[in-house]
Amino acid sequence: MRTISQHTSISRLRKGETATIIGYVSGEIPLKIYEMGLLPGVVFTMKQRLPLNGPICLHISGNPNSVALRRAEADLILIEPLS
Amino acid sequence: MTEIKIALVGNPNVGKSTLFNKLTGLRQKAGNYPGITVEKKTGSFTEDAVRYHVIDLPGAYGIHPSSLDEQVVYDVLADKSNPNHPDLAVVIGDPFNLKRAVFLYQQIRDIGVPAIFVINMADEAERAGLSIDTGKLEALLATEVILTDARSGKGVDALKAALSFQPGPHAPSFNIPAEYHEAIQQVKRQTGEEQDYPAWLYLSQKHSLSHGAAQVGAVAAIRKEHGLNPHRLQIQETMARYGKLDADLMHVVKDPAKKREHFTERLDKLLIHAVWGYVIFFGLLLLIFQAIYTWSGPFMDAIDNGFAWLASNTAAWLPDGPINGLLTDGIIAGIGGIVIFIPQIAILFIFISLMEESGYMSRVVYLMDRWLKPFGLSGKSAVPLMSGAACAIPAVMSARTIENDKERLITILVTPFMTCSARLPIYIVIIGLVIPAERVLGLDLQGLVLFGMYVLGLLAALGSAWLLKWWLKSNYKSFLILEMPTYRFPVLRNVALHVWEKTMGFVLGAGKIILAISIILWVLGSFGVSDRFTDAEQLVKLENPGMSAEDMENEVQSLKLEYSFLGTLGRFIEPAIEPLGYDWKMGIGLIASFAAREVFVSTMATVYSLGGTDDELTIRERMAGEINPHTDRPAYNFASGISLLLFYAFAMQCMSTIAIVRKETNSWKWTTIQLAFMTGFAYLAALVAYQLLK
Repeated sequence: MRTISQHTSISRLRKGETATIIGYVSGEIPLKIYEMGLLPGVVFTMKQRLPLNGPICLHISGNPNSVALRRAEADLILIEPLS
Repeated sequence: MTEIKIALVGNPNVGKSTLFNKLTGLRQKAGNYPGITVEKKTGSFTEDAVRYHVIDLPGAYGIHPSSLDEQVVYDVLADKSNPNHPDLAVVIGDPFNLKRAVFLYQQIRDIGVPAIFVINMADEAERAGLSIDTGKLEALLATEVILTDARSGKGVDALKAALSFQPGPHAPSFNIPAEYHEAIQQVKRQTGEEQDYPAWLYLSQKHSLSHGAAQVGAVAAIRKEHGLNPHRLQIQETMARYGKLDADLMHVVKDPAKKREHFTERLDKLLIHAVWGYVIFFGLLLLIFQAIYTWSGPFMDAIDNGFAWLASNTAAWLPDGPINGLLTDGIIAGIGGIVIFIPQIAILFIFISLMEESGYMSRVVYLMDRWLKPFGLSGKSAVPLMSGAACAIPAVMSARTIENDKERLITILVTPFMTCSARLPIYIVIIGLVIPAERVLGLDLQGLVLFGMYVLGLLAALGSAWLLKWWLKSNYKSFLILEMPTYRFPVLRNVALHVWEKTMGFVLGAGKIILAISIILWVLGSFGVSDRFTDAEQLVKLENPGMSAEDMENEVQSLKLEYSFLGTLGRFIEPAIEPLGYDWKMGIGLIASFAAREVFVSTMATVYSLGGTDDELTIRERMAGEINPHTDRPAYNFASGISLLLFYAFAMQCMSTIAIVRKETNSWKWTTIQLAFMTGFAYLAALVAYQLLK
């Protein structure tokens, strides 16, 4: 069985991996995260990440636009890998 | 005629501006909202004997503001006493992100603003196999739904016809949880607000300007009594609304969810690639700078020659006298000095506008964030910094999309270090005078020095940003959350309008100052009260008997200039600038360019032409022949030239930028600190350079 704890943050996903959002680390996270559609139950794919802890680019399923966020923000989102 | 105020509202990248341009055509103008310089675009048109005033609000994802742009949207929509408060809001959505647009629509209706709903890019959705049941959507939204394709203009007439529609009553789409009912009742009693949702907005927004200071304190007390955190209320509202929308929209949108956007995916593989992304971006920057110099060359030469022709013809046509001098040396030279910038500014804005329209600009933000963050900046600072290479004024204004107050302030404070196009003529003239036209390693030395000046500007900007980062405290956490839209072919009409608007803004804004200064300089340089000014001719005759008539005339002119008001001013500051290697004539140029640095070259033209009689020489030849009376060396030698270059690279010499920084930061303190730091640093750098090199 795969341990979930190792895979609960977006920044640990590899390129092309898909996950679903299950919650958030705390309530003190930017409203923009919600407004951009990173809501519980949403399925997304890790599209690309820049090296040296650069920002992460996600592809939310069903949305042709991508969302970019810094690693610090990405780590506030709790996820469960699907693939 | 009936007049109706319409506001266009929508998420970013839904084609809102294209629709605005289609609705209003050229009958539009850009201005500022009172008090803050978020750009306000308004326009109007007449349809069925009704005059519609349209305001294009900045893009927003929701009604709760997290940047200055979004604050404007909130203030205009929520505050009924706001002069821009619309009679009808037109909410524009993208069919692929319908949920988000409906979210915004429902918030706006809950505030109490009547609204209709537009689905733009409808054709694209159809091609992609996405179907939207507009009948069901109209029932859900209790309003009219119009399908448009702003690019082709399809549906725009239907939209115009729908503007007279009066939406029926709208049931609140957000049910405020019962636990807050008591607090809501208290807010309603306190503020006199009758509806629940506006009262909820009082509770969920801490810093709202439109509520008035007295109410803000009272509401804060209610919030405290109930232990409410406004940010958490906003999140709770957002999640509740989205949760409900998922169910509501299930039968409205049929998405076969087949794989789309191959084009964007493929392009992004390259454009945001960890290596190629940067290579392409820097290649593009190089192309932009090349274009600014080479493409603008012929236009600038034509403008230069045109104005020289105009000046010499005017001078020949008018009788000699003060009016002739004022027109040719003052006004025509002054206007020519502004118009010559138009090609460069227009070319830069063409590129910036193409990058924004195509969706590439958000990729630049994504790529640059990692590299700007260590300097206390954000990826979003890349846009102001790049625009700063044209002109700091629109660049400082474009910092408004940066959400974090500290990052925004730092960006505004350091952007004027970037080499704007106003510095360019000074650099070119001085480099031409003091740097030999040689080749080093096959590269043109003068070109290399010019490139070095751009690098210097960037280093100064990043260095001072790094210093400010340690000094400044922020109330908010820095974050970057950015939408990267699909790539689109730019709408050329939008690009043209944007370039036109920005260029004219520069010409009219800077033009007024330059023109005024040219006239003031001419007056100060042509009149004086000292004996040596009024009796210049006798004095020269007495001191130089037997001089040729031509030399005599030259001598009289330069003596007159030296003792004119302008010369007196220049000699007054001479002790301060002598250690930098400048004489009093250059001092005049420095004084004049504290209003706008591009004035330097035209001032030196005025100063040297006032002091001479020969009109044939170009300004550069005059400068090359000028001798510093103190050192008996050419006034523009290597040491003083480098010192001058450094001074102009760092000093804050632009009244328009000072004014815009004051407006944008809303603080005299920061404006003064910026002015003092930049100018002090410029003085020190010039001093050290001259003393080491002389």
